[in-house]
Amino acid sequence: MSKKVAIIASNGGLFDAYKVFNIATAAAASEKEVEIFFTFEGLNLIHKQGMQALEMPAGREHFAEGFAKAQIPTIPELVEMAQELGVKFIACQMTMDVMGLTEADLVEDIEVGGAVTFLEFAKDAAPTLTF
Amino acid sequence: MVVKADVQLDAKGLACPMPIVRTKKAMNELEEGQVLEVQATDKGSKADLAAWAKTVGHQYIGTSEVGEILFHYIRKCNPETSEQEEKTFEATIANEEIVNRDGLILDVREAAEFAFGHVPGAKSIPMGELEMRMKELDMNQEIYVICRTGTRSDMAAKTLAKAGFTKVYNVLPGMTGWTGELSKEL
Repeated sequence: MSKKVAIIASNGGLFDAYKVFNIATAAAASEKEVEIFFTFEGLNLIHKQGMQALEMPAGREHFAEGFAKAQIPTIPELVEMAQELGVKFIACQMTMDVMGLTEADLVEDIEVGGAVTFLEFAKDAAPTLTF
Repeated sequence: MVVKADVQLDAKGLACPMPIVRTKKAMNELEEGQVLEVQATDKGSKADLAAWAKTVGHQYIGTSEVGEILFHYIRKCNPETSEQEEKTFEATIANEEIVNRDGLILDVREAAEFAFGHVPGAKSIPMGELEMRMKELDMNQEIYVICRTGTRSDMAAKTLAKAGFTKVYNVLPGMTGWTGELSKEL
């Protein structure tokens, strides 16, 4: 059984963020080695300012109440927890260049790399998930 | 149902994946063999904690519901050692054979494990309390010592033999292989 879970985060909305970080923290808590590759809009999820105000999908804003009622942790809280559990973040260099982002724009303790960095980790991971 | 646990974790009001994350952290503080009680209101936590325990190699004992609150019980195991230990106590008896015999079935698992199902009529003395409570046992009676896989009962049988009990048997394979009736009466 593989001890690795590889995740590609390529979308930048609030729902995307929950899908990514819930699976990542659950996997890490189950003693898996977890890496997330943040690319394109996915970089939003680890952008210092961006992650504070991720958007709900259009027309789904009414779910905000449900999130509060169910006492769901915020995204910055989940990010911190994921890192504390040892989840490794890789930010896509190419997308950062396109969007004019630097490492200083993103949360601390991440790695910046290209597709091959992620593929090297993912080659024997099961499952590999894309969000 | 009142179930005894060594450590309690309050995860009430928390949504997935928090009960799992908290459980993992709490488990780090337990000794091998100890039982953690997780109190949660997340209805998904029942399936999740059972799956989590299976993945990481701990023993999911069971869940009891009191109103809105779920009480989960998990026993800390070390998958690399605990189940593999050699059983050396010579007098053994098969699960099927203890049913119609006259002696006492002594269950040395933790109280929580006993609470979620035991052989009807069995007496519970967790392994850790055996030395202290040995005087509750009758030396003239046959004693069939049972646990989950035969490892703790092997140790318990040796402890009893050392104390002078001569009619002691280790029950194999133990509760993992039990197909007969189960009682939850305490």
